[in-house]
Amino acid sequence: MNAEAPNVRVEDLVLDGRIQLEDLVDRSALDELCKTVVSLFGIPVRVYSNEGGMLADAAIEQELCAYVNRTTGGRRACESTVAAVKARDAGDTGDVVHPCFTGAAYRVIALVYDGRRVGRLIIGPFLPTSVAEAPASLLGIDPAIERERSQALLLKMPRAKQETVTRIAAHLKASLDLILFSGHKAFVTSQMHLLSVRESYRQLEDKTARLQEAFDKLKELDRLKSNFLATVSHELRTPLTSIIGYSEMLTEGLAGELKPEQLDFVKTIHSKGGHLLSLIMSLLDMSKLENGTMRIAMQSMRIEPVLAEVVSTLTPTARKKGIKLQLDQPAGLAGLAELRGDPERLRQVFLNLVENAIKFTPAQGTVTLGGAMIEDSDLDDEAEAGLSLVAPTRAFVQVRVADTGIGIPARERDRVFDAFYQVDSSSTREYGGTGLGLSIVKRLVEGHGGSIRIESNEPRGTVFVVRLPQAGP
Amino acid sequence: MQINFGGREIALKLVYYGPALSGKTTNLRSLHQLTTEGSRGRLMTLETKDDRTLFFDMLPLALRGPPIERGDRPGQAPGMTLRIKIFTVPGQVLHSSTRKLVLQGADGVAFVADSQISETEHNAASFFDLRQNLKDLSLSLKEMPLVIQFNKRDLDRVRSDEELGALARRGREPVFRASAVNGHGVLETFFGLMHLTWCKLDGEHQLGKMLGIASNELLPMAARQLGITTEVSKLLSSCVGGKLDRTVQVPS
Repeated sequence: MNAEAPNVRVEDLVLDGRIQLEDLVDRSALDELCKTVVSLFGIPVRVYSNEGGMLADAAIEQELCAYVNRTTGGRRACESTVAAVKARDAGDTGDVVHPCFTGAAYRVIALVYDGRRVGRLIIGPFLPTSVAEAPASLLGIDPAIERERSQALLLKMPRAKQETVTRIAAHLKASLDLILFSGHKAFVTSQMHLLSVRESYRQLEDKTARLQEAFDKLKELDRLKSNFLATVSHELRTPLTSIIGYSEMLTEGLAGELKPEQLDFVKTIHSKGGHLLSLIMSLLDMSKLENGTMRIAMQSMRIEPVLAEVVSTLTPTARKKGIKLQLDQPAGLAGLAELRGDPERLRQVFLNLVENAIKFTPAQGTVTLGGAMIEDSDLDDEAEAGLSLVAPTRAFVQVRVADTGIGIPARERDRVFDAFYQVDSSSTREYGGTGLGLSIVKRLVEGHGGSIRIESNEPRGTVFVVRLPQAGP
Repeated sequence: MQINFGGREIALKLVYYGPALSGKTTNLRSLHQLTTEGSRGRLMTLETKDDRTLFFDMLPLALRGPPIERGDRPGQAPGMTLRIKIFTVPGQVLHSSTRKLVLQGADGVAFVADSQISETEHNAASFFDLRQNLKDLSLSLKEMPLVIQFNKRDLDRVRSDEELGALARRGREPVFRASAVNGHGVLETFFGLMHLTWCKLDGEHQLGKMLGIASNELLPMAARQLGITTEVSKLLSSCVGGKLDRTVQVPS
């Protein structure tokens, strides 16, 4: 008992659900049903709901009634009879006869559904077989009533035995019961549908709320992690700067001449310190990008000098590994449009990409940087479908960094941009790195309103395709 | 339960719970066939083509209490009506939300289990589902009048009577054996459930007084109005185990 319920209670629906004729029955269809009875027997039929509303009125005015209604007394008597019939209860038995002053009669029959009375059936007026001539109650109702005429009209009224009327009523009741049951069933079904959907919805909402909670918690943890990362990186950098600074001073002989071997050692300390610093810087970059505090100083710039600088910076590294590092069609690069960007950040992007390319390319391999202008409509990604309809065409500066290295399997291509992700994350992996580089690259490129994706370089290797929007007009 | 003094009605809700295809609808169909028309309504079965019981079945029964003598006026007023609506839940796992809805406001539960040994796990899963759904509705299985029916006794590869007896003695709930498709054990289960439900609600709300009958007259009255000739005490005595017989107070 008293179950807590989401809004509508099922027991209200099925236990106390009062069936109202008005709700379940179509009036015009019921009217048609009643008219079939009228056409079969000529006896008028009316259906009233428990609430008093008339649901069907299949009546044809009897000639006698029309005649009587033309007289003052007759009209008054007729009106009061009709009102009395309308108000008449079907009694304990659910079936009563109501006489009319004309000698005709009405039957008032209760309509029962699911053990409850839901309405009344009023059949009549009809002439009981026992009535042979116009009674005094008709003749005396108004001086204008003529005996002969009223007698003739009375006998024109549909005659029926009470048993016949009982059978008509039984037929109508059975038909109505079927209609009510079907309607009730459809009603209950639809309500259950509704409740069931609502319940499912509520369960989904619950689940969503729980997921949201978990998500918020994770987001908070993520934020804490970023903060921690930023703080730790910062704290690491300060002493490291001293280590680098002092080792540099040592190599410069500020603290006295060093023996060649000592100088060698100190240079190693200095270079490893520098390496460590760059790692810490990328951690700092990462946390800045994650919490959105990375500043990108936008200005009009050309990409060509940036690429040329990257190539010249990394040529020694490439040469050391026996790799050819080249700019593809330097003349074509010169034709690239201006874009809005932060040269320092973009240098970082391509430095990272090219360094990466060199790292994963074996000796005798090639790393090529190329550039081209690209129109929006060139996009082949399905997610960009319809872009031509919703966005004006924009031109992009596209830079391709192609290597002939080990390549990245297609299924890994999205994940390599995740922070700390390594395609080979085993402790014995061949290639080192923090796994931060590409993640930073992606965020920086996106920070420029651009995009980065990976293609494979046939027959082997990888191409990183960076697209940066052309500066607006 | 709902009491409607204006409409002179008390409405009870009984739910037949159990795994899919355990015979809940068959129980209702048999009950429908075994009772006479006067006191029971049409069996409403909501089902779709692909699914055996998408929503539920409902069998309404109406028991009329004796007319009430009026002190102030001569004559008798019609008595209260006890309306009993028996529902089945959809057993299919995916209809969990409908099951919970149907269970809302239940006054008593008959758990229809499948006697086939292969169905043991489904029975248990459905029972846990019942317990969880009651819990979700803030109802307690402990306080819910509950009878268990082991249906399909007519099949092969079912648990033996001895096994059932041993199982039943371990539990608190009265256990009935049935073959609903043949009409066996159906009335027994229904009356067992009615008995437990009535005892609880009558104790809490003095329903007997409202209906104008003594507490132990309900079941015989129900049997009479539903046209059942078997003695109620005989129906109830077919139960195995459980606490039903200790509380039986049915006049012969």
